[in-house]
Amino acid sequence: MNPLLQHDQQLLARIGLAQIKARERARQGRQFRLALRFMAPALLLVTALLLLPVLYNIWLSFTQWQLFEGRDEFAGWENYHQLWSSPYFDDALGNTALWVVASVLFPLTAGLGLALLFRQMPGQEWFKSIIFLPRILAPTAVGVMWYYVYAPQGMLNQMLGQFTSMPVETGWLFEEQLVTPAIILTFVWQSCGLVMVLLLLGLAALPRDPLDAARMDGARPWQVFRHITLPLLAPTLLMVVILSVLAGFTVFDLLWVMGANYPQQRTLSLAVFMYFEAFQKNSWAFAAATAVVIGGVVLAVTWLQTLLQARVDRMVR
Amino acid sequence: MIRPALLRFALLAGCLFSTAIQAKEVQLFNDKGFWSAPLQAVANAARTDGISLKISPYANAEQYKTFIQASVASGRTPELFTWWTGASLNTLAATGQLAPLDALWKEMEADGRFQPGVKELFSVGGQPYAVPLQLSRWVVLYDKRVFARLGLKPPSNWAELQTVAARIKAAGQTPFLATTQDGWRGFIWFQELLLRTDPKAYVGLNNGSVAYDSPAVRKVFSIWADMYAKGWFSDPRSNEEINDFVRGKGVMYLFGDWAVGLLGKAGFPLKELGVFILPNAPGVQQPAIIVEGAPIVVSRKGAANPDVMKTLRFWVSNQGAQTWGKASGNYIGNNKIAAPNAIVSQVNAQLAQTRHAMFLRWWEGVPTALQGEMVAEFNRFMLKPDMNTTQNVMQRMQSLNAAYWSKRKKS
Amino acid sequence: MQNLTSQQANWLALPPPASPPRWGKALCGLAIALLWLLPFSYVLLAIFKSTAEYAASPPLSLPEGVSPLLENIRMAWEQGDMAQAMLNSSLYAAVGASLAVLLAAMAAYPLARMQFRHRNLWFLLLFAGTVFPFQMYLIPLFFGFQWAELLDTHLGMCLLYTAICIPFPVLVLRNYMQNLSLEIDQAARLDGASEFTLFWRIILPNLRGPMSAVFLLQFTWIWNDMLFSSVLGNSPDTRSIMNALLVFQGSYAQSGPNIMLTAAVLASLPTLLLFVLLRRQFMQGLRV
Repeated sequence: MNPLLQHDQQLLARIGLAQIKARERARQGRQFRLALRFMAPALLLVTALLLLPVLYNIWLSFTQWQLFEGRDEFAGWENYHQLWSSPYFDDALGNTALWVVASVLFPLTAGLGLALLFRQMPGQEWFKSIIFLPRILAPTAVGVMWYYVYAPQGMLNQMLGQFTSMPVETGWLFEEQLVTPAIILTFVWQSCGLVMVLLLLGLAALPRDPLDAARMDGARPWQVFRHITLPLLAPTLLMVVILSVLAGFTVFDLLWVMGANYPQQRTLSLAVFMYFEAFQKNSWAFAAATAVVIGGVVLAVTWLQTLLQARVDRMVR
Repeated sequence: MIRPALLRFALLAGCLFSTAIQAKEVQLFNDKGFWSAPLQAVANAARTDGISLKISPYANAEQYKTFIQASVASGRTPELFTWWTGASLNTLAATGQLAPLDALWKEMEADGRFQPGVKELFSVGGQPYAVPLQLSRWVVLYDKRVFARLGLKPPSNWAELQTVAARIKAAGQTPFLATTQDGWRGFIWFQELLLRTDPKAYVGLNNGSVAYDSPAVRKVFSIWADMYAKGWFSDPRSNEEINDFVRGKGVMYLFGDWAVGLLGKAGFPLKELGVFILPNAPGVQQPAIIVEGAPIVVSRKGAANPDVMKTLRFWVSNQGAQTWGKASGNYIGNNKIAAPNAIVSQVNAQLAQTRHAMFLRWWEGVPTALQGEMVAEFNRFMLKPDMNTTQNVMQRMQSLNAAYWSKRKKS
Repeated sequence: MQNLTSQQANWLALPPPASPPRWGKALCGLAIALLWLLPFSYVLLAIFKSTAEYAASPPLSLPEGVSPLLENIRMAWEQGDMAQAMLNSSLYAAVGASLAVLLAAMAAYPLARMQFRHRNLWFLLLFAGTVFPFQMYLIPLFFGFQWAELLDTHLGMCLLYTAICIPFPVLVLRNYMQNLSLEIDQAARLDGASEFTLFWRIILPNLRGPMSAVFLLQFTWIWNDMLFSSVLGNSPDTRSIMNALLVFQGSYAQSGPNIMLTAAVLASLPTLLLFVLLRRQFMQGLRV
């Protein structure tokens, strides 16, 4: 054992280790009871209306339950085995992975870029409002709008046609290689306003002193950004990443509307795959297993990020 | 049940906006939002008979099915609601929650309102469980102006069909309108070509005795692909099929006759609309037609409610059917009244002249668990009708089909 | 008491821009903004066309006049049964979003600023509610609502929307609360303020920017939702606006796209209006 630590412990023992521990425990207990009072209403609602359904689905995923047939015998891991062997699962999983990576990467870079661009610009509030605007519209409406942008006789092809002075009739939402990137572009258009706003809110709340001090010391802008702004912004960045991962995993509305005529629509993401299993084939137990996989991964990622955040917090403070 | 009531009371205290559940009136649950206005017209007409009918539409079929199925699962089946015929009706009837409607059908057929044969479409195992919300026949609608200009007449056999299409193509127009809009349309040409070339296989396909890579199906795909190769079909990627017909993107339109009302609404001059039944291929004798029935069903509890049965009787009465036909353009099989439009009356006349065998659509015939995945494969073919895709489509369909039937046999 | 959001942190530590504003950058911004608005053009063209005109012309052609808009609005408003649905959605969105943001802020406060065991687990518990795809909540909620006799009631919908809108603001507000300096707490505690006063008088006023942002987002989320309304509150008396829109459209998209799109634009106006109203609140926190 570390001799210094040993010394500390001896010291602690002399003034009554047990007493200190008890006092600390009592303090934490008081804080906890207080915290519980603050959290109670939210916990109550979330438990009753969200967590119970989640538990119900977890139970469902181990049964053979189908709405009409009402069979609910225990099935063990069978639904999960079936998931792996479904001919659509691999593609759905691959596309979801693509979505998660893309929805973390692109809105973040685009949002940060736009935040930088609009810095100290005349009329910046108007520009920010315009960038944020798509986020306010219903995703289904956004999907319909962009469907016509990508349609064979749509806006994009017309513009490309004028550019190349040749008629272009690419079916952006019909080709296997194009459909996911095309919808991701719409997603970025729709969501980078929110990322921009969250980043700006984080930036606005940064403490002023370290930045000023660094500038006084003659640090170059990039150095300040890299060594001071970025670490201070890390918690906000992590939060944005959590939200993006969640969005990427559960993306549905856009794929539902824009992919409506893509024949392999069920492979566009895990959430779409699950929807088809549940609503079209009525294999609710099987769909529940898919949902558990999605939810489990998201929760794991969130947990990992909370751990990471705790570490970042310690570094910053 | 004291606890839920107490809980509800506690929750309601202080909430001004709660709505009481209405009694007395009969609700018709459905997923046909687009027919809300015509259905309301029927409800208004029924009011004079002392019937209070409320139309409760749901936004889309999937969520509607969920609502019905969850209600059935918890033993609170709605009293009166619309459903689908074929495999879906079989499953619903198997829950034992539907009321058989033999007595009502006896009345309906006794005075000659409904021809024998219609009942079968709404029956499970010989027992009728529904009345028609609509009954439509799948026919080819065409633009008379183009036919007149090119000196064409509706084809009465397979060879004439080929000539008509070739002539239209040669004149620089597209003969057939067909798209993959909304993801369900892919089966339309497949079912028709299969029925026209091999009616036995058409039946066998849906009970698992004929495979999706059998010679009969191969033949259909080769005819279909050949038609695509000749440029006879419009762009399958369009999302505005009805409007495309108005725009002249295809001269002949194979669809249910319920499309007539929609074409009229979109601005097509209905007097220029013609109709024929797709002719059989050489070697197939029996005249046949594909029909689509949408059923209204009644729960056992609903059948015990005199108001519900009164509503249903009004629906199939001459007055009810007439109001519905006028407002929506839909035919329900009642032959004592004038057909809702010229197309339907022409089809009726043709069917009265020659006896046609009636077949349910592929969509209703195929097991519901296979429906979506299979139709997606048809769509995939339409978007890329080449050799490789065709092979791949047939393989995928047969492997889904085989997996389904082998599992059925096991359990 | 200091107001932290008004503190102007120069986060790049760049010198203030040269006195004539940079017009080059502004032009660049203008180009991006125009590009951003381009996808709306199809909608803006379609709502000025009559049904027959829409059917006869290619989707991106210019309308012949602007007069059909009024007729389209009338058709959409009447046939779509939009008045009652707008009222319902206003109730859900206003009650759901404000209650959810308030409760979430209360829950986020101890999660960000108190020390107790398993803090992260408590956070995850709250957050875990929304990690499932939302479609999977429908069946269990349907059974639950049936049991509690909450199906097709305004109360049921308000409760559900409040619950579903809690996790996201908890995540966001917890983050911004962590960023607030701890010194203000200590100062206030020395003055003898209770935890609740501290939360209400000091923390909340400093979070005006994030609070209005999440309120707007949750309001629009509820406003735009059609899934839950379509299974749990589908009767015409309780139907939400987006659900009414889809019922109107029907699964076969039968009324002309021009009227559908007019209805969609009408249905989006209230959230746009709210955004315009909140913009000042909202943008003040964003000025950097």
